[in-house]
Amino acid sequence: MQDYHDILAEVLIDEVSLKKRVKELADEINRDYAGQQVLLICILRGALPFMVDLMRNLSIQNAIDCMAISSYGQGKRESTGNVRMTLDLQTNIEGKNVILVEDIVDSGHTIAHVLELLRTRKPKTLKVCTLLDKSSRREVEVPIDYRGFSIANKFVFGYGLDLDEYYRNLPFVGVVDLERYISSQN
Amino acid sequence: MQDYREFIDEILVDESTVEKRVRELGYQISNDYAGQDLLVVCLLRGGLTFTADLTRFITIYHELDCMSLSSYGTGHYASSGNVRVNLDLMTNIEGRNVLLVEDIVDSGRTLAHVLMMLKTRDPKSVKVCVLLDKKMRREVPVEVDYVGFDVPDKYIFGYGIDIDEHFRHLPFIGSADLSKYKKPEK
Repeated sequence: MQDYHDILAEVLIDEVSLKKRVKELADEINRDYAGQQVLLICILRGALPFMVDLMRNLSIQNAIDCMAISSYGQGKRESTGNVRMTLDLQTNIEGKNVILVEDIVDSGHTIAHVLELLRTRKPKTLKVCTLLDKSSRREVEVPIDYRGFSIANKFVFGYGLDLDEYYRNLPFVGVVDLERYISSQN
Repeated sequence: MQDYREFIDEILVDESTVEKRVRELGYQISNDYAGQDLLVVCLLRGGLTFTADLTRFITIYHELDCMSLSSYGTGHYASSGNVRVNLDLMTNIEGRNVLLVEDIVDSGRTLAHVLMMLKTRDPKSVKVCVLLDKKMRREVPVEVDYVGFDVPDKYIFGYGIDIDEHFRHLPFIGSADLSKYKKPEK
C-alpha cells in the first residue's frame, strides 16, 4: 500500500478546520433541537468518523443508528437507479427527530432515495447533515440542512472517505492526485 | 430523559485516560501488523466510537468494514444462543488479516460465535480488540488480543456504549447506579 503522500495533490480541509466545523455543526443542532431528542443515522461506511465526532459534540439527548446501502446498478452507489438497503435501521423512527448523516453528497441520488424511503415511516422531522457538498455534481435536488463544507468537483479522500477502501482513517480531507494514483496502480 | 449525573455511580475511565489508551492500542496494532495487510472490522453499534478513534491511531494502511449482529435469543445480543448477522462484511476475508473491534466483552458468547463463523472463510488471521473486558462475566473462553481496560461487573455507559440507546456520546466510561436510573418513556 502506498504512502498517502505519493498520491495527495493537496490537503483540502485540515484536521483543525474539520474539528472546528464539526463542533459548529453540532452546536447548530444543539440549538435547533434544544429540549428535544435526535436520532443520528450514520450511512455506512464513509460517514462513520464524522458521525462519531458529531455525536460527541452534541449536548442534547441523542441516539444513533446505522444504515448500509448499495445500488442495484453497477457497483458505485452514487449512480442513478434504486437503492438497496443492506442494513436497515434497528430503530422505529415514527415520531422521531431524524438527522441523516452523510460524508458527501454529490449526484444526490442515493440520499434522495433514502429520504423518500424514510419519509414513508413518518418521522417527526427528517434532516440531512453532510460533511461535504459537491453541489456542482448535483443531478437531483436534495435539501441539505447542515453542511460542513462545499467543495469543488475533485476526487477527495480521508476522514471516512476511501480510495479503493484505504485511507479512511486520515484525519484530514485530501484531494487525490489522480494521475499519480492511476499510474501507480499499473 | 434523565441527566446522566442523576444516576452515575462513578467514572470508571475518564476522557484523557481513554484517549491515551486508545492511542497506545493503535500504535501497538500498527507495530504488530507492520508491513502487513489489515482489515479492521467494527462491530456495530457499540464499537463505532472506539473504532473511529482507534483507526486514527493505526498508522499502517488498512481497510475498514462493519458487521451488525443480534442474537436469536432474548433481546440483548450478549445472551446465549446463536448469532444472527444483520449486516455481513462487504469484504472477502480469505487470506486477510482481520481485526475485530468491539466495545465490550462479557460472556464472550457473541464473540466466540463470530470468530467461529469468520474462521470458516479462511482468513489469514483473526484477532480481537476490545475496549472493555468484563472478565468476571465470561462464560465461554475467548481469546482477546488487545484489551483497553478490565472493568468490574457493573452497568456501563459512555464512549459509544448505551443505556437504552442513549448516552453513547459521553466522552468517558461510567457505571450506572440502576436504582437511580429511570427508563425513558416510550
